[in-house]
Amino acid sequence: MTNKLEAERPLSPHLQIYRPMLTMMMSIAHRITGAGLAIGFALLAWWLVAVSMGPEHYECVQTFFGSFIGRALLFAFTWALIHHMLGGIRHLIWDTGTGLDKTTIEVFAWATIIGSILLTVLVWVIGYHQMGGL
Amino acid sequence: MVQFTLPRNSKITKGKAWNPPAKGAEPGRWREYRIYRFDPETGENPRVDTYWVDMNDCGPMILDALLWIKNKIDPTLTFRRSCREGVCGSCSMNIDGTNTLACTMHAEEARGAAIAVYPLPHMPVIKDLVPDMTQFYAQHREIEPWLKTDSPTPQKEWRQSHEDREKLDGLYECILCACCSTACPSYWWNGDRYLGPAILLQANRWVEDSRDERTGERLDDLEDPFRLYRCHTILNCTKACPKGLNPAAAIANLKRKMVERT
Repeated sequence: MTNKLEAERPLSPHLQIYRPMLTMMMSIAHRITGAGLAIGFALLAWWLVAVSMGPEHYECVQTFFGSFIGRALLFAFTWALIHHMLGGIRHLIWDTGTGLDKTTIEVFAWATIIGSILLTVLVWVIGYHQMGGL
Repeated sequence: MVQFTLPRNSKITKGKAWNPPAKGAEPGRWREYRIYRFDPETGENPRVDTYWVDMNDCGPMILDALLWIKNKIDPTLTFRRSCREGVCGSCSMNIDGTNTLACTMHAEEARGAAIAVYPLPHMPVIKDLVPDMTQFYAQHREIEPWLKTDSPTPQKEWRQSHEDREKLDGLYECILCACCSTACPSYWWNGDRYLGPAILLQANRWVEDSRDERTGERLDDLEDPFRLYRCHTILNCTKACPKGLNPAAAIANLKRKMVERT
């Protein structure tokens, strides 16, 4: 009887009911941006392969990256890279045993969000500036 | 193993509304509670029942409301409670979306208009708000939470300096309510092999104890990709702890000890 009951015990709800919190979301964002980087680096590899394959291929890839979709992908890639990097720095600090008190974890979370947006915009502003405007 | 959805026998169905207040009832007097119910005798899926608690007649804490419902509305509502002052850890459950103790949480602190009450997340449910804690306690046993020494037992007590004793502050206060462990997604997905924040905080408590003489052995036992290193610093543990402790910092300390000794 006991074994039968134990086998039939329901599992209490978890993700369905837990309130999303910023620190938890940052952990998920770190994973998602990490997976996104795999796609981003595949794009980068495609570009490098095109360089080695000659002018026609290179032209084709350049046209893609120059298009709106291409630029949007690169912008997302830049953000994912910077967000993941800042997240990584956050983890490095935590690994030293500091920055884990309740105030600092919230400060780190906001710093990662704001920092990643600011740095991404900065990279693109510099990029366009180098190219001589839009 | 990661499984985002609930197994078929755990899917929650719509329950019943027990005592809806009469139309034109005094506004703000009746507080709505939505409470997870599971009855092992019927074999039916869990459901969420709705109760209204008369705030003019009920104490301020969530536990007061649960007892009010049990006494006045529905005596079958089942939950664990004992000390009613945050010392025993019995009434840990998921309230208003986070894990905490029903006895130390004010109903006023709840953000939701209706206060949702569920058992501790991702646990086998015995009945209503009572989860099966067998695995949790077995994991506590696994880290051998007692003083281990090789030196002959002293005539009086094992001595400890004030400084060494202070290292246990923030660790010894843990009441093993499991709020932190059952708030941790890593523990949800890998609770069979990952020890979880509460047990790791306890492990750290014995690693940090200056009187314990088996520190190396304790660290050896934790040197495992799952037991310790499934912690990914998600920090739900530290956010949840109703005693204001910091399991994430305790785990970070264990990880640092691992590096320092190599």
